[in-house]
Amino acid sequence: MKSCRPIIVAFIALVAIAASATELTVFAAASLSDSLRVIAPVYAKATGDTVRFNFGASGTLARQIKEGAPADLFVSADELRVDQLEKAGLLLPGTRQTILANQLVLIVAAENAAPVSSLADLAKVGVKRIAIGEPATVPVGTYTKAHLEKLGLWTQVAGKCVPLENVRAVLAAVESGNADAGFVYRTDALISQKVRVAVMVPLAEGPKITYPVAVVRSTRAPEAAKTFAGFLAGPEAQKIFAKFGFLPPN
Amino acid sequence: MTSADLTGVDGPGQTPPIRIRFRLDRGGFVLDLDLALAGRGVTALFGPSGAGKTTCLRAIAGLERVPGGFLEVNREVWQDDSRGIFRPTHRRALGYVFQEASLFPHLSVRKNLEYGRRRRAVAPPVDFDHLIDLVAVGPLLERRPETLSGGERQRVAIARALLAGPRLLLLDEPLASLDRARKDEILPFLERLHRELEIPVVYVSHAVDEVVRLADHLVLLAEGRVAASGPLTETLARLDLPEEFADEAGLVIEGTVGASDPTYGLVRLDFPGGSVQVVHSAEATGRRLRFQVKARDVSVALEKPRDTSILNLVPARVVAVAEAKGGAHVLVRLDAGGTPLVARITRLSRDRLKLAPGSEVWAQIKAVAVLA
Amino acid sequence: MGEVLQITFFTLGVALLGTLLILPPGIALGWWLARRDWPGKAVVETFVALPLVIPPVATGLILLKLFGRRGPFGYFLERTLGVEIVFTWKAVVLATAVMSFPLLVRTARVAFEEINPRFEEAACTLGAAPWDVFWTITLPLGTRGLLAGCVLAFARALGEFGATVMIAGMIPGQTITLALGIYQEVQLGRDTEALKLLAISVVLAFAAVWLSERLLRGRTK
Repeated sequence: MKSCRPIIVAFIALVAIAASATELTVFAAASLSDSLRVIAPVYAKATGDTVRFNFGASGTLARQIKEGAPADLFVSADELRVDQLEKAGLLLPGTRQTILANQLVLIVAAENAAPVSSLADLAKVGVKRIAIGEPATVPVGTYTKAHLEKLGLWTQVAGKCVPLENVRAVLAAVESGNADAGFVYRTDALISQKVRVAVMVPLAEGPKITYPVAVVRSTRAPEAAKTFAGFLAGPEAQKIFAKFGFLPPN
Repeated sequence: MTSADLTGVDGPGQTPPIRIRFRLDRGGFVLDLDLALAGRGVTALFGPSGAGKTTCLRAIAGLERVPGGFLEVNREVWQDDSRGIFRPTHRRALGYVFQEASLFPHLSVRKNLEYGRRRRAVAPPVDFDHLIDLVAVGPLLERRPETLSGGERQRVAIARALLAGPRLLLLDEPLASLDRARKDEILPFLERLHRELEIPVVYVSHAVDEVVRLADHLVLLAEGRVAASGPLTETLARLDLPEEFADEAGLVIEGTVGASDPTYGLVRLDFPGGSVQVVHSAEATGRRLRFQVKARDVSVALEKPRDTSILNLVPARVVAVAEAKGGAHVLVRLDAGGTPLVARITRLSRDRLKLAPGSEVWAQIKAVAVLA
Repeated sequence: MGEVLQITFFTLGVALLGTLLILPPGIALGWWLARRDWPGKAVVETFVALPLVIPPVATGLILLKLFGRRGPFGYFLERTLGVEIVFTWKAVVLATAVMSFPLLVRTARVAFEEINPRFEEAACTLGAAPWDVFWTITLPLGTRGLLAGCVLAFARALGEFGATVMIAGMIPGQTITLALGIYQEVQLGRDTEALKLLAISVVLAFAAVWLSERLLRGRTK
């Protein structure tokens, strides 16, 4: 039994470390999935806290939090959802801060793309299906509809729009060719080789896309959550975000 | 058996209308059949359960695909596996009556009867109304099969098969699922049918009484093989009948009513070679009746017995003597002026009477069963 | 209310169309499985049973890969017939058809197995060719069981979700069925609307299953 001893010691040490470390559950917008997955191990190495994620459309996540899902932190792709939760008293006051910004783009397939060079082309016959986020629950969809309405194009293209559950689903639809074009964030377009950006909605004209983060009131680890939120706003995380194409919160 | 067993064929050199050959070896179950049937008359396939009778019938119908089979009916080759010919069941002009009447439950009796009629171009051998009368199903026409009794259902099934214009009628133990009373109800119909039909019938049964009443030709099947076959009378009179049929050994003779004696309740039946008096209600003179004389009911005397209660004494000559199974008895084949008879006596008696082929004797017939 | 009605009628229409589409192949396959034996029969049985056993979304994913614009069937359909399946009402019909198919085949098979083969043999001996036997004997005798199977398949089609959401998406006015509608209303936090659709779903499903049971029970009289 001599060889067992080091194993037992190591096991006890691990348990001890685990007991003292915190595990955070973060509900985050789907558009953040790649970047946050890179940030989490960096954070773990620095603080010893592990972060678990639940990615989805911010509207869906907000609903889940409303129904009591065990989230410590919420990172949304629009201010609206956080406003709703704040009004419902589900967030820890004073913990809300905006950490990122993004840009709306129109993408098409990288090969055999539909002939789209401007948003007005979407109304043409050659474009049969446009993938968007579900406007009622997915921020990118809300932004898309708002912008198209602003341009007076919404009524013409609404019938061609396929509302999907989150921004990544929109990306997948365009990648697979099942939709001729789709509205995603610039950061999403950047991670995929199978799509290319056809139109970039200029920041000045387009919707203001910002990512607020807030601590959920029912959290069991408010300090750890605040620390992680601070980390996300800090230089190390921001550098990683920038690499993925995110914009600083202007 | 490799050569065809001719049953009821008139004269040598004439191709029998129906030739059947099946050879099947299916994991323990063997069927080895080589038959030739005449163009009319009832051929009974008789044997114990498991002998392969039903399989044989189904093979003739094409419901079972038996490899290595050959079937020719009236010069039409219905199946010849050596040449890759196989006419599917629905194109074989036959009629099939199953053991349990398979009347279509969702159709009325009338629609059932008309089912085959609508599909075969061949004109039926019997007219619709006549057939309805024959099997007496007139009042049942608009009823549903589930409201009929077992006997009624079988009658309808037989009529349905006939109305399809078959060239060959196959009956698979049609009375097996009926009780005694129903059976007795239907047998007369079958006998009438037998007399009126001009197409050959293959009748499968394991009931002796049905066979002796209806069959013209007999094929005895045991363990998938033909144990004996030939005209009914002769086959039953054979001395070397296999064990299963030993009890039935005897004769079926057709006689003509000579006279009736109502006072004593007797009827005299004449046949070539003699006559017998049987207990029977009065019949019209000249009427043909079948009767069965079992070997065990026949005894032999060297001189005409006097003052005996046995009514029927027939002079005969011994043709052959053979040991019966069991060892204590022998079967004596007799010739009574052209009509064969079989007697079963003890070996002791044979030795004492010194019976041998050629001996002139008197046959004493103790019991006669009139069939129909 | 208008939207609720539209969704209800759309659901009924799609379920009906889906059920009608699978009727001929379902009954045919049910008959083959009931009456015939062949090498590889077990493989066919397994394949047919798959949509019943694997998660509906998995079936939906398979359909997406096959009928998507770049999938083998989708590409062919778009090129030669100009027909698009994914993200249209046709995808809803496809999903419901595929998910209901195993149920129909199963009940059809049982219905046929319960018919005594002797009736079919008798019809053969009376001169009926195989097709004739099927139409005049097998089908009439199996009608009750087949009808029960149809109703069951229809009920299943009414409630189909996982595969549908995968290949048809939730496009308002175009691909929203009762099931998808309920999900969407809950997503949007509109519980009352969701409950309305839920109530209709329950009533329809109840009626369908009740009818199916009646038909089945009447059979074994």
